Amino acid sequence: MSDGFGEPISAGGSPHAGELTVRFDKTIDLTRIEALLRQARERGGVAPETVATLNLVAVYFNAAQYERARESLEVAGALHPCRLVVLIGDELIEQESLGAAVSVVRSGGAITVERIVLSATGRSVRHLESAMMGLLRPELPMVVVWGGRPQGGLLRHVAESADRIITDSGARPPTFLPELAKLLASGAPIGDLAWSRIFPWQSLAADTLDLPNLREHRGNIRKARVVCAGAVGAEGLLLLGWVQSRIRRVEVEIAAEGHAEPEDPSQHSTPIPRAAPVGLGHVKLFELVAPPATISLVRERGILLAQVRGDDDGFCAHRLRLPPETPGRLLAAELRLLSGTDELYAQAAQLAAKLVAERS
Amino acid sequence: MPYAPEHDETPNPLRAGLRSDSAADPCAVVIFGASGDLAHRKLVPALYNLAISGHLPAAFGIVGVSKSEMSHEQFARDMREAVGKFSRTKPVDPEVWQDFAAGMRYVPGSFEDPDTFARLRTELDELDRTRSTRGNRLYYFATPPSAFPVLLRQLSTAGLITKPNDARHTRVVIEKPFGRDLASARALNRLVLETCDERQVFRIDHYLGKETVQNLLVFRFANSVFEPIWNRRYVNHVQITAGEELGIEGRGRYYEEAGVLRDMIQNHVLQLVCLSAMEPPVAFDADAVRDEKIKVLRAIQAFESPEQVGRNVVLGQYSAGSIAGADVPGYQEEKDVTKGSRAPTFVGVRLDIRSWRWDGVPFYIRSGKRMPKRATEIAVHFQPLPHSLFGEGATQPNVLIIRVQPEEGITIRFSAKVPGERYRPRTVSMDFRYGTTFAAASPEAYERLLLDAMRGDQTLFTRRDEVEAAWKIVGNILRVTESADAPPPHPYRAGTWGPKEADELLRREGRAWRRL
Repeated sequence: MSDGFGEPISAGGSPHAGELTVRFDKTIDLTRIEALLRQARERGGVAPETVATLNLVAVYFNAAQYERARESLEVAGALHPCRLVVLIGDELIEQESLGAAVSVVRSGGAITVERIVLSATGRSVRHLESAMMGLLRPELPMVVVWGGRPQGGLLRHVAESADRIITDSGARPPTFLPELAKLLASGAPIGDLAWSRIFPWQSLAADTLDLPNLREHRGNIRKARVVCAGAVGAEGLLLLGWVQSRIRRVEVEIAAEGHAEPEDPSQHSTPIPRAAPVGLGHVKLFELVAPPATISLVRERGILLAQVRGDDDGFCAHRLRLPPETPGRLLAAELRLLSGTDELYAQAAQLAAKLVAERS
Repeated sequence: MPYAPEHDETPNPLRAGLRSDSAADPCAVVIFGASGDLAHRKLVPALYNLAISGHLPAAFGIVGVSKSEMSHEQFARDMREAVGKFSRTKPVDPEVWQDFAAGMRYVPGSFEDPDTFARLRTELDELDRTRSTRGNRLYYFATPPSAFPVLLRQLSTAGLITKPNDARHTRVVIEKPFGRDLASARALNRLVLETCDERQVFRIDHYLGKETVQNLLVFRFANSVFEPIWNRRYVNHVQITAGEELGIEGRGRYYEEAGVLRDMIQNHVLQLVCLSAMEPPVAFDADAVRDEKIKVLRAIQAFESPEQVGRNVVLGQYSAGSIAGADVPGYQEEKDVTKGSRAPTFVGVRLDIRSWRWDGVPFYIRSGKRMPKRATEIAVHFQPLPHSLFGEGATQPNVLIIRVQPEEGITIRFSAKVPGERYRPRTVSMDFRYGTTFAAASPEAYERLLLDAMRGDQTLFTRRDEVEAAWKIVGNILRVTESADAPPPHPYRAGTWGPKEADELLRREGRAWRRL
């Protein structure tokens, strides 16, 4: 085994400030990693208190995927103090390599995230799972953030041992949903950031049907229609799947129009997070048709607006401010549920998967 | 609050199973006393922060009502300044503020003048049209209690209070002090309930909005290890402290009338006693929780004679001293305080709760101004060991401390072996700190309480019978301590933990106040 502090490691990209890195020849030495972790904790004097409420395991298939998600994991970790074990398994690089990078995140006088990034390429990828199991903090729930396609044995093994798996079907093509639905049907405890992203649409639709003059339409919803930005995405499909799971024999329709909104540069200049712009495949319009009324939910910047035609013509029926939905905050919201499956999501995903099959 | 369907109505098919944190119902919040301190420092900043966190419905408006002449725009400008100064999130987000301020209106006028309420109705109707507030109203009485009767009468006469079962809800939030004794509290309750139903009344005690106070319920009833020992067999005594290093901060006129018993004990401290001592509620809903709290208040042994008060209550008043190296004046040198004032700024009380669970376990409570530091906590002292294996006095009884503020958290003190060849125990602490375990900033108490009021959840608000039972306990003390022949409060130097007589309250029973 050779260890080189501060050396770049393959597949893991360049080390970040404060990271302690180590390379391994054939197997991963967990004692060495624990020693590095101790060293990271004690940097700058006596180690402060370490708090942890869960083991957060994040799985990626190349270093770039992890770099994109790094900040989100840190944000979620600050809200749910944890031991974060990142597995980067890149099988496309043939040369075998194994390495680890260790660091801690301090907040309010305590260590809130202990981060261990394990990287492997080539055939060494097979070692990641067992190494991960040895690095978990005992007694705490294990939540896995799955950053790629549901491929290979790793996900199957992870699904068997994890209390919860969080993925983002919105970041994948719609064909990902049927694969996810299969896993859900087998009882895998899966959570989905795309599902969290449609919470405000669901709330507003339910709130609108609670308004006194619109309650009469509750039993008469015949059709639901969703328009996504640029391309049909998982959020829209899940939204329709949810409606179908709640209302029998409702006709559903999904279409793509226009483009995704460009990134708002002012988003990064304010310390207060805002609602994200409408991304590719995200929902722009959600309509419920209950003849003669049509309830339209549209997105206008950070506000969701419910409008009704055929009943209160053109009148704004209800408004809802969209919460800030940076991926880190969405992940933190999903981490409120540390085990089990959201049954409503499981039903919606099955029906969304059927819609995908019907469309193809 | 989710809408409760009527019997012949189709249930909302989209409501079941939703996991999202719902925003409150659409509503207009009317702040009476909008030019005052409370609105500037607490209420509007709290509402703004609810907008920031996405909990405020976009179908929302604020109407300020007070005597000062001001336009809508001036009021909005004034409030923006207040939010910039007092909000917990800074700086003010222009985009959120723009939408928030668009729903702001102001009605100048006297509360005695029916025309003020006619103009209020016009503004509310306009908000219904332009902001979809749907006829839902939350009236916040941020005024002196003397204004409550006229406000209730005028709102009722102007038809601005709906029936409790009306689809458009009316809720009234009433700030403390809720009366100044049992008789006035009862009279005020009668008056309030002539115009509103109890389900529409939200008597606010901001202590109940604090995360740590709410955590007391979770700590007690979501952990199986503590509840079995939470009783007279294992608990020796309980100490509750609510100390402030601040003085009366220019509120001499109010404090002369109130004193520490009305200001702190009748509401905040007795609420802490209730939450510490109550039985598990049958459900986590407003009435089930409040039913258990009222049982505690009823079980507190009443002081029926001056002797009982003399033996169990110590009053104090601060004299000049120094806090954190700064000289501070005595109470009687404060603005608007009369020379020779007998208003107590400190109280220590020994309470007995006559119940199956607590009989024989004294609850010592103390609260005061100009203490050495700000500290509110509940300390549960467990029984000493029946037999010490490691030498007499080598171990201290276990103590569980729930820190309400500052440094919110929980500490348990227990004995551990000092490393070495001998068995030498030493008391050590195991700490849970809110700030580090949950890095998310806790919302201000007013944010939580305003949101609950908008959602119609009364769990953290005090019910009529609770208020009256608390006044009964405090009234028995006041009747003696405010009588003409009562001795004046004991002086204590500012920057100390109260008069030495308060120490005696515990010392005679072989105990001592915790050093904080």
